[in-house]
Amino acid sequence: MRVVVARCTVDYDGRLTAHLPEAIRLLMVKADGCVAVHADGGAYKPLNWMNAPNTLTVVESDEDGVEAVWTVRSPKGEVLAITVHEVLAELDHEMGVDPGLQKDGVEAHLQELLAADPTTIADGLRLVRREFPTDIGPVDLLCRDADGEAVAVEVKRRGEIDGVEQLTRYLDFLNRDPMLRPVRGIFVAQEIRPQARVLAEDRDIGWVEVDYDELRGIESDALRLF
Amino acid sequence: MKFRCERDVLDHAFSIARRAVAGRGGTLQVLSGLHLTVEGNRLTVVGSDMDLTVRVTAEVGGDVDGSVVLSAQLAAEIVRALDSGQVEVSVTDDGANLVSGRSDFSLRVMSAEDYPKFEVPGGESVTLDAGSVADALEQVTLAASMDDARQVLTGVLMAAEADGLRLVATDSYRLAVRDLPGTSVLGRDQTVLVPSRALQMVGKILGDADELTIRLGERDAVFEVGDVQVETRLIEGEFPNYGGLIPDDHPNALVVDRVALQEAVRRVRILAQEATPVRLAMSSDGLELVAITQDVGQARETVDAEYTGEDLTVAFNPQFLLDGLEVSPGDEVRLETSEASRPAVLRSIGDEQFLYLLMPVRVS
Repeated sequence: MRVVVARCTVDYDGRLTAHLPEAIRLLMVKADGCVAVHADGGAYKPLNWMNAPNTLTVVESDEDGVEAVWTVRSPKGEVLAITVHEVLAELDHEMGVDPGLQKDGVEAHLQELLAADPTTIADGLRLVRREFPTDIGPVDLLCRDADGEAVAVEVKRRGEIDGVEQLTRYLDFLNRDPMLRPVRGIFVAQEIRPQARVLAEDRDIGWVEVDYDELRGIESDALRLF
Repeated sequence: MKFRCERDVLDHAFSIARRAVAGRGGTLQVLSGLHLTVEGNRLTVVGSDMDLTVRVTAEVGGDVDGSVVLSAQLAAEIVRALDSGQVEVSVTDDGANLVSGRSDFSLRVMSAEDYPKFEVPGGESVTLDAGSVADALEQVTLAASMDDARQVLTGVLMAAEADGLRLVATDSYRLAVRDLPGTSVLGRDQTVLVPSRALQMVGKILGDADELTIRLGERDAVFEVGDVQVETRLIEGEFPNYGGLIPDDHPNALVVDRVALQEAVRRVRILAQEATPVRLAMSSDGLELVAITQDVGQARETVDAEYTGEDLTVAFNPQFLLDGLEVSPGDEVRLETSEASRPAVLRSIGDEQFLYLLMPVRVS
């Protein structure tokens, strides 16, 4: 993994053309050849990226104000040109083989089970999207209720006050979207602490306790085509 | 930049283009805006999240050419709130002004220079009858998955068949297949996977349109309906081999009035709570629907139907069954089954172009 914080200009040419004006950004070059350009914001999506396989060439520059030009090319003909004006920090590190994502298995599985059948949370609830993105991170489930109103669902293994706070922040952002609002919230967990229930009710957020074992039983009944 | 037009013209353009705007979670701030360009008397409004781009053109009274990016949310809300009548939009170094009647809005703007420059994908275009495509899209997009964890299932497969075009979507619990005979969009044996989100948008804008023009590139697809153009990135990946899932043999067949079954399922599902299914008990006497929720109650309803085969009870997720009935054409449907744990096939009587495959739910 090569991580570079640099003042740079980025130009992408491929499916479309995009230009990022000169600014300080984080450049990541991964061992598999992926290249990503990040700003100092947003949880997961780079400003620009090229999936492997790529070829990266770095050419030192004599031009004033330009240290080097990185050119990333994909076999599909996409080109990402990163003009590095000033390198502010740089790190190379051998990270080895990644063991894979170790999420809280129960919480992730709970989310998956509830997404497969949101009516276990409330009658008539239908999934719009899992991991629905907002500016401050993704909401676990975005659903529509029987009346067509949007419902944001936050799923936790243990329901505590910080989970209610998190859902409150999501609701604040989601309710700014005229395509969605009004959006109400439901806090879902295997067990919800009394303080979290009080806080949720005070904020007009619904809460539901779900039985993980029962949900797993339901899952096994829902047969799949493949 | 400066132009004038009727409020309804601007409202139409803004409300459609903003459906593609990356207002949620995008890191490129400029993509939260609508990109407006005026050239002569032609206004082009673009909204995009990089994967999906919607471009709307309109005739306006252009005074000064130019481009600007306005906050999609604010611009659309303002225009929607205005009374009918003329709106004048002007952009100076200080920002944008929207003036209509006694209303005067000043808005900060984003630089049009920072907005990605989308190349309109090339390729040959094919024009289709909008009505049949709209029906087909409604029938298949509902079966596509909304779970991004399996991205290929969020797409609709468009496949070239010997006698036309086939659309297929599945979320792994049900599968919808619609044939459009005589429709040629793809090369021989070619398949593409189009995000269902884009096709749902195309379906919405088709409305009363007569024609839909499609252009398929290697990585993109473009759909044009009148003054609206929807561009989408195609999904890369292999769609499940669905052919083998459709049973050749179906020893049991139930023929039933479509609407009567739909209404009965809607009633009985009231007691299919906590994710319990609705059971279809089929026999030579006809069809009985049963829903049981422990500690709540149960519902039963008989429906007139013709059944051939062995007595069989199959349980389905009621919503998935209703979805299939809703989009099946015609008055009567045939439900073909083999075993309680094998996929069932729903077809319309007298219509061979649409097929809905539905996986049962196991019940004790």
